[in-house]
Order: sequence, then structure tokens, then C-alpha cells
Amino acid sequence: MRFTRTTAIAALLLAGACLRAQNLTDLRVAEIVAVNEHGPVDGFGQRNGWIEIFNNSNGTVKFGGCYLTDDKDDLTKYHIPASDRSTQVGPRQSVVFHAGGDASHGTYYTNFTLANGETVYLVSNDGRTIIDELAIPADLPADWSVVKVPAGVKKTDFTVGVSEKPTPGAYNGDVDAKTNSQIMKEKDPHGWVLTLISVCVVFFALAILAFIFTAIGKAGDREKPAKSPSGHVGKGAPTPEVAAAIAMALSHEDGEEVCAAIAMALEEYMGGVHDEESFVITIKPTPGSAWAGKEQGFRRLPR
Amino acid sequence: MSTVFDSLRQFWFFTGFANCTWQNLAMILIGIVFITIAIKKGWEPLLLVPIGFGMIIGNIPMFPGLNIGVYEDGSVLNTLYQGVKQGWYPPLIFLGIGAMTDFSALISQPRLLLIGAAAQMGIFGAYLLALLLGFDPNQAGAIGIIGGADGPTAIFLSSQLAPDLMGAIAVSAYSYMALVPVIQRPIMLALTTKEERLIRMPKPRQVSQKEKIIFPVVGFLLTAFIVPSGLPLLGMLFFGNLLKESGVTRRLAETARGPLIDVVTTLIGLTVGASTQADKFLTGNSVKIFILGLLSFVIATTCGVLFVKVWNLFLKGDRKINPLIGNAGVSAVPDSARVSEIVGREFDPDNHLLMHAMGPNVAGVIGSAVAAGILLGFLG
Repeated sequence: MRFTRTTAIAALLLAGACLRAQNLTDLRVAEIVAVNEHGPVDGFGQRNGWIEIFNNSNGTVKFGGCYLTDDKDDLTKYHIPASDRSTQVGPRQSVVFHAGGDASHGTYYTNFTLANGETVYLVSNDGRTIIDELAIPADLPADWSVVKVPAGVKKTDFTVGVSEKPTPGAYNGDVDAKTNSQIMKEKDPHGWVLTLISVCVVFFALAILAFIFTAIGKAGDREKPAKSPSGHVGKGAPTPEVAAAIAMALSHEDGEEVCAAIAMALEEYMGGVHDEESFVITIKPTPGSAWAGKEQGFRRLPR
Repeated sequence: MSTVFDSLRQFWFFTGFANCTWQNLAMILIGIVFITIAIKKGWEPLLLVPIGFGMIIGNIPMFPGLNIGVYEDGSVLNTLYQGVKQGWYPPLIFLGIGAMTDFSALISQPRLLLIGAAAQMGIFGAYLLALLLGFDPNQAGAIGIIGGADGPTAIFLSSQLAPDLMGAIAVSAYSYMALVPVIQRPIMLALTTKEERLIRMPKPRQVSQKEKIIFPVVGFLLTAFIVPSGLPLLGMLFFGNLLKESGVTRRLAETARGPLIDVVTTLIGLTVGASTQADKFLTGNSVKIFILGLLSFVIATTCGVLFVKVWNLFLKGDRKINPLIGNAGVSAVPDSARVSEIVGREFDPDNHLLMHAMGPNVAGVIGSAVAAGILLGFLG
């Protein structure tokens, strides 16, 4: 018993260790403008280059303690304050760092500036592991951005390109992308394909379930002990139903159900038939019964 | 004196009388009809009373900007409505349904799962018809789910696919669920012969507690892997059932199937009713939705019964299934199973079909959640 419990706990711990949470590796350097001449200004009214970090997961990621740099030989160039509680980014959301060269302006202001031809690295909080990087083309025009655009079916892969219209802090994908409904309207205007697939899937799922439980039922039948020679259910060992009912009756949770369970157990044990819904006991008070009579609630005083 | 009159005039403009339109009155009347039906006829009172009263609440004419309406951000009603809008009331109801559903009838006769699958044709039949009537695929999917005869599923899917139609879809779904005995009986009689109605099915075998515990785990894993988009509904349904059957979480199961589902049912009914404001509800689309909803129930019942009849061609002896349980594949639990029992006993008073019909009935709950997941996956 102890061995089983220890094994189970060990298995759980092992499974827990294998779990991969929403973590820093889900962050992407998603968009960069190196030369900002006519774009948005930062909180101090200055136009500087900026770096957008995108959370490519469906969970919130805390990035406090990570590093940003434009120098591969100095991966810890700008330390994102770990103490700042705002250093987290929601699922599929992004944050923007202004590259003005003065980190004293705040958490989201780097201590380095950007120039074409550089590469920006996002480094993990160990100061060594590069999470993601994005190279700025040497010929990138002013106010243009180099951008990673979500691609693939789940939009979790990226293609790198340049954009004439940067989108700091906003989703880099095609905001005019068609919805699934619009795509279905074009591909399957009358709905027959979806209907056919859906009906097949529903039948498939429920058929497999039916198959599994038919097999489990048959296996259970084989496991059942042979009936006693007399064939009388109530004369042998108690059935699981009876045992469960008696166990309920002996539990600490007293109440109406206990009485009903004892009654059902006795009924079953004596060979009676109960309804098929085991563990669901319905007690319907009968108005004419003395048990429900109001006089049962009165105190009888001696005259 | 003029100040008093000015104040009274201003007060008048804030009253419901000054802002009333005929649409408001029409919706209030519909709400009263719902409440009357629920109380007088006893049709789905737990749902129709909250929905009916919610309709009255939602259609009290008011001066806009007071931040009290269901569609006004931050109002109390709007806060309660978030459970519908963001779709977290329905999974909580499914938790309660799971904790109160006994799947024994299904586990003892797993083949009846297929009847639950066949009856989901109502969903897809209505989907095709809705497309024909010019609805967009996402709207058609949301309308089609009415055929699943499952109110929480209908609310969940419509809140995700077509929030603007949710009020009409929810009211339509619950209305037709209340009318299951009226809709299904004539179809069942029309599609079956007297001989078929007299078919007696063997008594279901006794199901062990071990099987009952395995069912929610295996059922969830299988269906969720096939249709992950149905996770909120399927997860909660099977989780609730595991609470019930595990035998060690009795208090949790009792809370899920008792106080929790009562609270959520009250809130979902009230807010869905309140969301049916006249300007959003009294439209041509709502009329179409009501017609399509009725047709979806008809298709579902027809397909369920016909499926059993066709299946019977391949079955022999006491393996044959009484086609009167085919209607129970729609997941209006337990109303449609009760219809099977009542109609069956009309022709053979000793032929109890209820337990047999509960199999496809609960299979219908699983089937409609799977179908909702598929529609959400394709159209969401």
C-alpha cells in the first residue's frame, strides 16, 4: 500500500516536472523601428527607435529580470527591472520598449539606441540564453519597421518582413484576415461539407465510446463470481450495491438517506428488486402518512 | 411654482410611461405569457419563470444613459449578463447536470449512444436550412444548435458564434424544450407501426460502480481529444459526473447539482430574458429563428425514430429496439425520455420504456456538446 502511494506521488512529481508552463520562451522580438523620424513619440515627447515584444502564448508571461541588447558580446546590456510588477504581458499581447538610450526614464526605456544593420536580442533572466532575436536590415528606410508577422494555421509561426506602416503595441498579423465563418461561406456555401464531416465526427465519437463500454461491460461480466447454487442473490455475499448501501448507512453522515439506504439494503438482501438508479434515492412524502403528519412535530404534554 | 412643474416634467421624462414603445409592451406581454405558461401548464417552470420575468425587466422602458440596462457597460444587469456573454454560465450548468445524471442506462446498453448521435441531425438540418434562408455560417451554426434541445449548449454556442442572435436562440430553445411532448408525440406516432410500438426490450444489465467511475474519465478523454473545442461543456459535464460517481466527493456533487445549478439557472434565465430587448428581439430574424428552431426539433425527432427503424432491420429477436425511444436522442433530459414512456404505455401499459429511453437521452447531451464543439471549431 505504502509502495503504491509512494509510486503514485513519484509519478505525479515526475509529471509535474515534465509540465511546461507558459514561459519566457514564448516571447518574441516582434517589431523594431530603428530610425523614427515621423512616428509616435515616447512618454517624454521624444522620437526614438522602439522594440516590440510579443507574447506568443495563451497565458500571461512575466519578463521582469530579462535583458535586451543590441550587442551579442554584451547580452546583459539592458536589465529589465525584476521588481517592476508591470513587467508582464498578457496572452497574444505585446509591449513596447523605447530605445532612447536613457534607462532612467523608466522600465520601458532602454539604455541603448538602435541603428540599421544591428540585431536586437531578448535574453533570458539567466543573462546567457537568447530567447529571440530580430535583425534590422541595413537599408531599412526611416519610419519603416522590420516585423515578424504571425503565420500558419494557428498563427504561432512567423514570417519576417518590413512594413511601411509600423504598429507599435498592436497585433502584427492581418487585421483584415477573414473569419472562419467567412472562409466557410466561400468554400462551403450550402453547408453540405460541414454537415457531412460533423455528422461523421459525432457518430465516430459516440460509436467509439459505445465500443469501449461494450468491451468494459463484457470484461466486467467475466470478472463476476459465479452465482451460488441456490441462485438466490440475497443468500450469498452481499452485492456491491448492498455493500455500498450498508456502508452509507454506517457512515457518519446521518439523515433521511441513511434510513432509506438501510431499507434498500435490506430489501435487496432479502431478494427484492430496487430501481436501476443506484445511489439516487427518491423519498416522496405521502400526505396521508403518519410520518408526515403535523402532529408528529407537537410536544405531547401530560394532562 | 414653475420650478416644481419643471421638476415634475423632468421626472416624467425619466419614467417608463414617457419612454414606452409598442415593442416594449409586446415583449412585456410575451414575458407574462411565458410566466403564465410555466405556472398554469407547468412547462419548464424553472426556466420559463426566470426568462419571462427577465423579459419584463429587460423591456421596462427607460431613459438611456442611466447605466442600468443589460447592454450598458458596468450596470448590475450587465455584470450578471457577462456569464452569458462570455459563456461561463453554461459550463457551470453542465457541471450540475453531470452531477445529477445517472449514466447507468447508457453504460448498460452502450449501443444506444448511436441513437443520441442520430438525433443530432436536427442541428445540422437546421444549419442547412438557415444557410438557405440567408444566414451567415456562424449564425446558421448558432441557430442549428437549437436542434440539440439543450438550452445551456445553445446559449454557449450562440454567445460565441452569434451574440446578437443569442436572445432569440435561447428563448426558442427553451420554448421548444418545454413543448417536447407536443412536438414529438405526433411524429413518433406517424413514423411507427403498432407492432413496432409494442416491441419489448430486455431489462438492462446491472452496472457496477467501477464502470460508472470509468465512464466520465474515458468519455471525457475520448470526446475532448476528438473535439477539443467542446472542452468547456464536456469537461464540466464529465467532471460533475465523476463527482457524483466517485463516492468520495459527495458534498461537492450535492453542491453542484443543488445550490450551484439553482443559482446559475436563476441568473442565466433572468439575464437571457433581460437580453431580449425589443429593439434586438422583435426582428424578422427572430421569426425565422423560431421557425428554424421548430424544424430542428422535428428533424431531430424524425431522424432519431427513423434511425432505430432502419437499425431494427439488422437486429434479430430480443435485440430489437422499440423505435419509440428514438425521439429521446434529443437531449431534453428527461422530458423526451418521459414522452417515450408515456407513448409506449398508451399501447402497452406494462411496457416501461423510460429506462431504455434514458440511454439515448443522456447520449444526446454528450452528442449535442460534441456537435457544439465541432461547430465552434469550424465557425468560431
